[in-house]
Amino acid sequence: MAIFNEPLRYSLPEGDKPGVANPLGVFSRPRSETGLKDWLTTVDHKKIGIMYGSAAVFFMLIGGVAALLIRIQLATPNSNFLSADAYNQVYTMHGTIMIFLVVMPIGAAFANFLLPLQIGARDVAFPRINAFSFWCFFLGGLMLNSSWFLGGGADGGWFNYAPNNGVAYSPSHGIDFWNVGLLITGIASLSGAINLITTVLNMRAPGMDLMKMPIFVWMSLVTQFLLLFAIPVITVAQVLLLMDRVFDANFFNVEQGADPLLWQHLFWIFGHPEVYLMILPAFGIVSEVIPTFARKPIFGYPFMVFSGIAIGFMGFGVWAHHMFVSGIGPLSVTAFALSTMFIAVPTGVKILNWVATLWGGKLTLNTAMLFSIGLITQFTVGGLSGVTHAMAPSDTQQTDTYYIVAHFHYVLFGGALFGFMAGFYFWWPKVFGHMLNEKWGKWNFWTMVVGFNLTFGPMHILGLQGMPRRMQTYDDAMGFNLWNFWATVGSFILASGVLLFITNVFLSLYRWNKAGKPNPGPDPWDARTIEWSIQSPAPEHNFDYDPQIVSVDDFWHQKYAEDENGKLRKVAHGADIAQPGNGEGVHLPAPSYWPLLLAASLPLIGYGLIFSLWLTIPGGFLMVVSLYGWALEPADDLDLPHGHDDHKSDHAEIASTVNV
Amino acid sequence: MSNTATPSTEHESHDDHAHPTETQYWLVFLLLAVITAFEVLWSYLGFSGPALVVPLIVMMLVKFVIVAGVFMHLWFDMKMLNGKIFTMAFAAGIVVALAVYTTVVATFEFNV
Amino acid sequence: MSDAAVVAEQATDHVEDEHAGHATSLNLSNMKLAMWLFLGSECLLFGALISTYLLSKARFLTEILAGNPVVVDSISNPTLVEEMRAAGSVEPLFDIPFTSLSSFILLMSSLAMVLAHKAISEADYKNLRIWLGTTALLGSFFIAGQIAEFTAFKEEGLSFTGSLLGSAFFTLTGFHGIHVSGGIVMLMTLLVLSFKGKLNQDRAETVELVGLYWHFVDVVWVLIFTIVYLIP
Repeated sequence: MAIFNEPLRYSLPEGDKPGVANPLGVFSRPRSETGLKDWLTTVDHKKIGIMYGSAAVFFMLIGGVAALLIRIQLATPNSNFLSADAYNQVYTMHGTIMIFLVVMPIGAAFANFLLPLQIGARDVAFPRINAFSFWCFFLGGLMLNSSWFLGGGADGGWFNYAPNNGVAYSPSHGIDFWNVGLLITGIASLSGAINLITTVLNMRAPGMDLMKMPIFVWMSLVTQFLLLFAIPVITVAQVLLLMDRVFDANFFNVEQGADPLLWQHLFWIFGHPEVYLMILPAFGIVSEVIPTFARKPIFGYPFMVFSGIAIGFMGFGVWAHHMFVSGIGPLSVTAFALSTMFIAVPTGVKILNWVATLWGGKLTLNTAMLFSIGLITQFTVGGLSGVTHAMAPSDTQQTDTYYIVAHFHYVLFGGALFGFMAGFYFWWPKVFGHMLNEKWGKWNFWTMVVGFNLTFGPMHILGLQGMPRRMQTYDDAMGFNLWNFWATVGSFILASGVLLFITNVFLSLYRWNKAGKPNPGPDPWDARTIEWSIQSPAPEHNFDYDPQIVSVDDFWHQKYAEDENGKLRKVAHGADIAQPGNGEGVHLPAPSYWPLLLAASLPLIGYGLIFSLWLTIPGGFLMVVSLYGWALEPADDLDLPHGHDDHKSDHAEIASTVNV
Repeated sequence: MSNTATPSTEHESHDDHAHPTETQYWLVFLLLAVITAFEVLWSYLGFSGPALVVPLIVMMLVKFVIVAGVFMHLWFDMKMLNGKIFTMAFAAGIVVALAVYTTVVATFEFNV
Repeated sequence: MSDAAVVAEQATDHVEDEHAGHATSLNLSNMKLAMWLFLGSECLLFGALISTYLLSKARFLTEILAGNPVVVDSISNPTLVEEMRAAGSVEPLFDIPFTSLSSFILLMSSLAMVLAHKAISEADYKNLRIWLGTTALLGSFFIAGQIAEFTAFKEEGLSFTGSLLGSAFFTLTGFHGIHVSGGIVMLMTLLVLSFKGKLNQDRAETVELVGLYWHFVDVVWVLIFTIVYLIP
């Protein structure tokens, strides 16, 4: 294991003095373990995971307000609550924020927090690059949202089709912000993907073969591979658009003979893997939650793994089903209709396996489990409407109607976000050391289920009635009034469901503080995977020693064994066999300013591209300085006492002299 | 890389496969240079259509494989424990790229 | 730019590669695995740029009217182009001998790079510096050639803003040029580190990683040379 066992074997190459803490003489090495400075400089994958999650929830509130504005506008016919221009911006930014700044980063939050814990590693492979990924995402997201105040947001739909995305049709800077902001979050995704793939492939605990990894790790691994290969494609599309908009190139200039279909192809080669990489982490989460609360191992572990891999591969072969009406020709349409129908198979395998896991299990219907079952049912509805899009003739009728809107909200909200909610309730004690309130949790769940289905269910009907997406308003006589009204009612119920969750977070914290901070113990759910074999909240050094992995659901098998009659018996309590959380002698990667500074240089360059190229000079300067500062700074601070850890800080001085 | 010094870190030791000698690197380079010369020559011989394109593509791929295999050490890493992973990571990118972009170009050709 | 940034981090990130030296699940170095994943991802990046170029080339001729700086649109003027070809009033845009020379130079820099890696893994620091310097120098020659070529094309009428073909050509080769330039910066950094005595045999992998990046940029040029320059 990379960061294990090595403090004193580790030798600096000649020429470096130990403790060269400020290579460029600018900063002394950050040492804080608490407070703002710690959060700004941390390289701890758990803190970074928490930051990913909190930032995503913050952006979710912005995207959610945008959603409510859309619904208010559409609640009544001929409404003028939002002007057509404002409406364009609001729905474009709603989609962009929810996809790039909410669903993807919540997936990244879970992956960051859980992957090292579930494979038995001390941190990710490149802790500083991990911090860099987070800051790129967060600053890129802030930059994208700064467009609200700097001339208006992007207004071409989340996919910003060419030539509508050109300066001629969208003269504000909105699309430039969209472009540059997403290029920056793309860097975050790409560097994160490289980092996490390396971590999963190379830093597993002894005995943890690939086929003994938890399903969540597998699904995240597939997700990161999808990012690895999909992000460069959108990067190129956005660079071409940037060249067009900022430097007068002609990539999408139809007068010059350009074919705007190129944008659609590049966008959807990225865009379809994108939808799978949004849902797969949620699939992984429910694949951990359901076995735990059904008290059964996951049904068909290898099928779950291989169907995930199959989804990953086939995800790159179906993109043109977004383009059935774009005139790509019957041959292409037929081929992509076929491949799209095939990709329903591995997804169906997963649904079947979850149901088979539930079947005959001793179900505990707590909030995490309810949200998981919510995912299965609602995702199935979305999946079935998805099959109707795979049929090209029927899709020709559905394209650009509310039927599509209903479909992707059922898979992404009813699927991905419900899965994430299950994950929040399930892993909250491991992250924060206290449980979320179950009673409020159930209210949260039922409010969200009712609100969600009332919002998006009627959109199926509206779509089949012919209501087009992205239209600012509709006429009284069109017959869309009734269901639009109820969808708006539903959206407010849904929003109050999300607020119930946020209330629950603070309420649970408050009650826990008042009750004298009782510790839920390492294993409150009698769970299956090894992140429950360490204390709650997870200690800073994760594992005291390398866990030795024997089987899938290794922690479960440490607790349960068959007796002589072949009957399953509990042989140990999780709390008794859990690692005590003693970080003595553990050497952790040191915090650093450079990831934040390097990430901060990117929006500066971005604003420069949009407003004045002069601004790219300080941005570029900051980038070069940060790169060299980073490269010349040792990843480890050798002056940092070994074994600093929240449980055993008093041992720090001794530990630094102990050979482990 | 043949066992000259004793590296202080372990990863040096399992890099210690029979990497080519300096002479071999020069020979490979000469081979690449000859292929490049042939490519240029071929483009001047006045062929057109497949007779021009197919040999050029073949020579291009041969050069690609030689650089990746010898200079980037993939042929030697393949013999190392799990060294195939490097080739697989790279090949995955190439295969996905070839598949999707060939399809894109093809959809522009067959759009009737 | 971003790619160069990531590479630079990885390439010069000494200590994280020290960690990688200890037992890992695959017995592979983290840094090297990460670099290969990054290169796999780069295939999609250059693939998209090359396809963009091919699609725009299908619509335009890479030939120019002799003395008349206009890129001919072969779709709207199919017969005109044939007539001009027959009359000999078009001449090829690309200067193949010149580009062949710069391709050869880039190929030679790959040889120098691999010899630099060999030198450091044998603790031969003198040759390490010679070959690192040679690689950077040859790379700079390549970039100089590219600048000369771009200037010539611009004078002959192929401009970035003037036509679709120009945009696609300059973006593709420009992206490659930025990658080469990033590589040169990394090589120069290694050279300085070596002169300061901070690049010894322990860090042979750092040189290897920069080498992987450098060779990758070279093979991308192998593709561009054939697809863009040799195949009309």
